[in-house]
Amino acid sequence: MAETKDIIKLEDMVKIYDTGAIKVLGLNRINLSIKHGEFVAIMGHSGSGKSTLLNILGCLDRPTLGHYYLDGIDVAQMSGDELSRVRNQKIGFVFQSFNLISRMSIQKNVEVPMTYAKIKPDKRRKRAIELLEMVGLGERINHEPNELSGGQRQRVAIARALANKPPLILADEPTGNLDSQASIEIMELFAKLHKEGSTVVVVTHEDNIAAYTHRILTFKDGVLQSDRINEKPTPFGENVGLGDRKS
Amino acid sequence: MFVENLKMALSALVANKMRSFLTMLGIIIGIGSVIGIASIGDTVRQMVSTIYQNVGATQSIVYLNIQDEAGIRDTDFFTNEEIEKYKKIFGTDLAYVDTNSSLTSEVKTKLGINKVTLTGVDSNFLNFQPTMEIKYGRFLTSKDIESRRYVVVVEDTAALKLFGKEDVVGKTFREKFNGALQEFTVIGVYHENMSPLQKVFMGNSQDLKTYVPTSLFIESEYNMFSGLRIFANKNFSGETLKRFNENFVEYVARTKGRNKEDFYLYSAGNEMAQVDGFLSAISIAMGGIAAISLIVGGIGIMNIMLVSVTERTREIGTRKALGATTRDILTQFLIESAVLSAIGGIIGTSIASGAILIAGAIMQQSVVIRPIIVILAVGFSALVGIFFGIYPALKAAKRDPIIALRYE
Repeated sequence: MAETKDIIKLEDMVKIYDTGAIKVLGLNRINLSIKHGEFVAIMGHSGSGKSTLLNILGCLDRPTLGHYYLDGIDVAQMSGDELSRVRNQKIGFVFQSFNLISRMSIQKNVEVPMTYAKIKPDKRRKRAIELLEMVGLGERINHEPNELSGGQRQRVAIARALANKPPLILADEPTGNLDSQASIEIMELFAKLHKEGSTVVVVTHEDNIAAYTHRILTFKDGVLQSDRINEKPTPFGENVGLGDRKS
Repeated sequence: MFVENLKMALSALVANKMRSFLTMLGIIIGIGSVIGIASIGDTVRQMVSTIYQNVGATQSIVYLNIQDEAGIRDTDFFTNEEIEKYKKIFGTDLAYVDTNSSLTSEVKTKLGINKVTLTGVDSNFLNFQPTMEIKYGRFLTSKDIESRRYVVVVEDTAALKLFGKEDVVGKTFREKFNGALQEFTVIGVYHENMSPLQKVFMGNSQDLKTYVPTSLFIESEYNMFSGLRIFANKNFSGETLKRFNENFVEYVARTKGRNKEDFYLYSAGNEMAQVDGFLSAISIAMGGIAAISLIVGGIGIMNIMLVSVTERTREIGTRKALGATTRDILTQFLIESAVLSAIGGIIGTSIASGAILIAGAIMQQSVVIRPIIVILAVGFSALVGIFFGIYPALKAAKRDPIIALRYE
């Protein structure tokens, strides 16, 4: 049976950050929950607090007040190293600028999270190759990131995000550095992953990107302004992620 | 995890060969110098030790050193009878005695004039000269000594100079000996098995070296000699040698009614120990100075690692986001700098060792490169890398991932 537990639960969550001279209220009493298996977009203009929220959801930052339960665990009191472990096991990051490590084959790139999870080398290699094949880059496993296009690099990043089978995929403007063709392919890949059971949260400021998701949260001035279901998510093709595309 | 980091560190080095090489240069030079100096020191000490072995490690010269203001008495000198007595008293402990007599003067042959040194020795002298090898003819026998024959054993280079060839057994030359011109017959030619470098060390004079019976020198003066050359039993060394030498001098002094301070014993073994100690101290001092360049090399590594850390800020942020702990990042960068300097150490060692081996081959001198020195040197350079890499690695590890991820 599919899990209907909350993967993300924020209770009266407040984030105040200190810019030295003044204190800024980044997020103001956020209450929200996201269940396993949802496909959510977080929208808002710059200054809306969506980046701050992303950092907290990603356990890169801690709430000032209130609670953040990630897959049932209260992460507010965790130490730096414990948070690292949580990120490693529970969250798969996809960044706007890919953040792949150059001078390393894409296979090795995908292995990185598994290395920190102390998974044995042969298991790592196998899984990395599997994941790259799944995103359509099986022919290129020994290439380095700079030999690939933007769309291909983002696909590597997605494969990497899936390495430790995390319950949550967190994508920060994943199509921000891609052309429209590649953007479509990446969003279709996310949609496919969601269909297969992953929880995907995408931060974006573009409506047509959010249109792929099933639920859209909008933020303004540090407050959750709206939370609506997307009745008609953009449909995606069945042959997503197979073969080498132009992107 | 360690092996992973090792592989990553190596690929990082290879990716930027020029930069890596320039960074390592300080370590390469530092380690190279230390190894070079240590090996040269060890080789020289080995050479010195071998030379002393060749000369006879148990050799000593005993001579008069009379402090008495009343003056020297006849009984202070050594006579042949006394020498025989010493031989009897000390038996096999006193393996060899002669009067340490020699004479140098000009010899004229068809090829020209040469200065020839005649050194008086006993028939068993050859036993104490490991590098002397009879090439033609023979060495002196006890008959030669007893009969006081005017026979001579010459070095092969001397034979060439005097007669133009090496096999000169049977040939004769005249040399002024005890006021009169004597004819010496060559009964043997020997070869000195020493590397050219060793010969330089032994002080190569232009005089031609030959050996004659020690008994020839008796006719001189009043049959009295101011010094002795002795060889202790070959098995003596260190403490046992020292004790024998002391006993000998004490006995000599006692039988002459003198104090042991009135005779001086100059021992090859002592000298060698002194020279060895001296060389050792110099090597250590110079090695220490060379080690300073290692510090400079370490600073170079620290600089480059700081640059590297800054360049890879994004990477560090990403790794942390993917689950790297502070310790993971710290380890990664420490291993990188350790590998950088360890490889520098290996290169420096190889270059220094190679240079020394080549030099040794050219000079026909066997060289000493102690494995322990190599291990210490490479190990130390890895430590230098770790020490100077700590600050940059800490900087990397402490980077806030959010800030790091935003870094351009």
